[in-house]
Amino acid sequence: MKAPPSLQGRLLLLVLGLVAGVWLVTATLTWIDVRHELNELLDGHLAQAAALLVVQQAHGIDEDDGGVDAPTLHRYAPKVMFQVFHEGVLSLRSSNAPAEPMIEYSGGTVEGFRTIAIGGAPWRVFATHGREADVQVFVGEQVESRHSILWAVLRSSLGPLLLALPLLALAAWWAVRQGMAPLRLVGRVLAQRSPQALQPIAVQGAPSEMTPMLDALNALFGRITELLESERRFTADAAHELRTPIAAIRAQAQVALGAAEEAERLHALHATLHGCDRATRLVEQLLTLSRLESGAEHALVLVDLAALARQVVAEVAPLALNKQQTIELSATGVHTVQGDATLLAVMIRNLVDNAIRYSPTGAIVKLAISTADGVVRLTLDDSGPGMSPADMARVGERFFRVVGSAQDGSGLGWSITRRIAAVHGVVVRIDRSASLGGLSVEVGFPVRAGT
Amino acid sequence: MRILLAEDDPLLGDGLRAGLRQLGFLVDWVRNGDAAERELRAQSYSAAVLDLGLPLKDGMDVLASIRRTGITLPVLVLTARDAVPDRIRGLDAGADDYIVKPVDLNELAARLRALVRRSHGQPQERLTAQDVVLDPAARSVTQDGAAVTLTAREFDLLHALMLNTGRVLSRDQLEQHLYSWGQEVESNAIEVHIHYLRRKLGNALIRTVRGVGYMVANEAATDASKAE
Repeated sequence: MKAPPSLQGRLLLLVLGLVAGVWLVTATLTWIDVRHELNELLDGHLAQAAALLVVQQAHGIDEDDGGVDAPTLHRYAPKVMFQVFHEGVLSLRSSNAPAEPMIEYSGGTVEGFRTIAIGGAPWRVFATHGREADVQVFVGEQVESRHSILWAVLRSSLGPLLLALPLLALAAWWAVRQGMAPLRLVGRVLAQRSPQALQPIAVQGAPSEMTPMLDALNALFGRITELLESERRFTADAAHELRTPIAAIRAQAQVALGAAEEAERLHALHATLHGCDRATRLVEQLLTLSRLESGAEHALVLVDLAALARQVVAEVAPLALNKQQTIELSATGVHTVQGDATLLAVMIRNLVDNAIRYSPTGAIVKLAISTADGVVRLTLDDSGPGMSPADMARVGERFFRVVGSAQDGSGLGWSITRRIAAVHGVVVRIDRSASLGGLSVEVGFPVRAGT
Repeated sequence: MRILLAEDDPLLGDGLRAGLRQLGFLVDWVRNGDAAERELRAQSYSAAVLDLGLPLKDGMDVLASIRRTGITLPVLVLTARDAVPDRIRGLDAGADDYIVKPVDLNELAARLRALVRRSHGQPQERLTAQDVVLDPAARSVTQDGAAVTLTAREFDLLHALMLNTGRVLSRDQLEQHLYSWGQEVESNAIEVHIHYLRRKLGNALIRTVRGVGYMVANEAATDASKAE
């Protein structure tokens, strides 16, 4: 397994790499500069020496005076050599110089610097001649000796730096480690937290660079806390709300067991069944709501709201007919919205079901789907008792039920409806029904472009 | 025993009323906090079963309100709120007992009987006066160890009198113990039931206090003060 990249290692590598890089560049520049200066200086010496020889020759040297070899005066002398030719004939040379001219110049003269190989080693040679071109002088110097000087200069100036590099690395490692201490502290604090601990992390003296990360982390903890709290509240609410239907089922079953009369027994048994149905519906609604609140993504596709409304009204019509209510649907043509067909059907069913339940016998319930001004509108009016403004404000709170209603609703229908609307990015508006006097519910969906 | 049941859930209220009736209680059922408070102020109940999550006025508020005005009847809180702080709050607000839903009807009845008994200063489950023993749980009466068969009304009447042994109960008070809403009270019903009770248990047990009402005394009355 490959170890994850270490921030500390990275920093260390960068710092040391940069130091080494700067050092290399410095060394290179020094090298170039020193070599240039050195070459200038030594070439100057060569030229100077050559000039001396030319001048000396001009003043006349006794050609027969004991041969052409100059004496060797110092042990470093072999690193330099010279030749003086007079009219093509070697008249003077250093003892280590060859008899042949260092640079072939038969006939003419040579002038200037050359780097040539003599005896297998590179030499720097300066050639010059007298004014009458009868004197040709060569002064040579081993290139090797120049290199030695160059190296010595570099060694003394850059050597200590090379020695300091490991020390520098050690110091950098320590410094980086010190700098990283708050990060390790946060890591330790996080590692030691229990999964339940969701309070914000407070690290003493956390550097400003870490503040965004800590803030983001604390914000995340905050969101998780909220989510857990809402989950906990939901579970508590659900357990609480299930107690009453269960208590009713239990009481009715016990009444049935203890009933002396057949009629009483039957009544209690029917009530028991009714209680079971109610508990089932409550559980289903709780599950629906929990799924809606889990924030799962819902695939929104093109749905014909009118077709959905027809289907739902057909399903719930028997309920209305049982109460001698009139239920009407006005939805001609196709009214396409973007949505989740299943959820939208649940929403319409909840709304229509509420209208039927809470409206008295003989009431009128009207559902209409229409498109105008770029909005597909679902409007539901009933002639029921409506709602007080205070109740309208509270409707949709989980388990909120309108006081005094004889219906044994769970108070979850509106929560579900609101959540479904939210999933579709629309809102449910409720008001007093202008046409029928009861409750009016309106949901507006934006028209899909191109439909 | 006549009790007030305050429960907003139709199915549960119906079941509790039917179940408690089967167990010999007279039950008046209200569905919101306002009605519960109104009835508790207007009528004399032996006890009340109070749901906390009532519409219009929360059960806890009803409880605090009646306690403030000195109504001391035993109140049993029946609720879905099961957290310990809720229980403590309920008991502190003046509840005498606290039951979390769902509840067994027999347990509910037993707790109500115990509450009523204690509220009358009776430590024993069975009530004794002279040679008569009344068992509220079994709804049975014995005299000198021999079982005496009573009708439901006669039993309730005797129960009310024996709970208040040594105290005079007016005809109105007795009627309130005997009849729940909607039950028609015949004008001389109490006299008729007393008459039958005396026939079954003898004249010594129940005394008439002229112009006031009736009472059961612990000691048999002397001949001189014997009832008519």
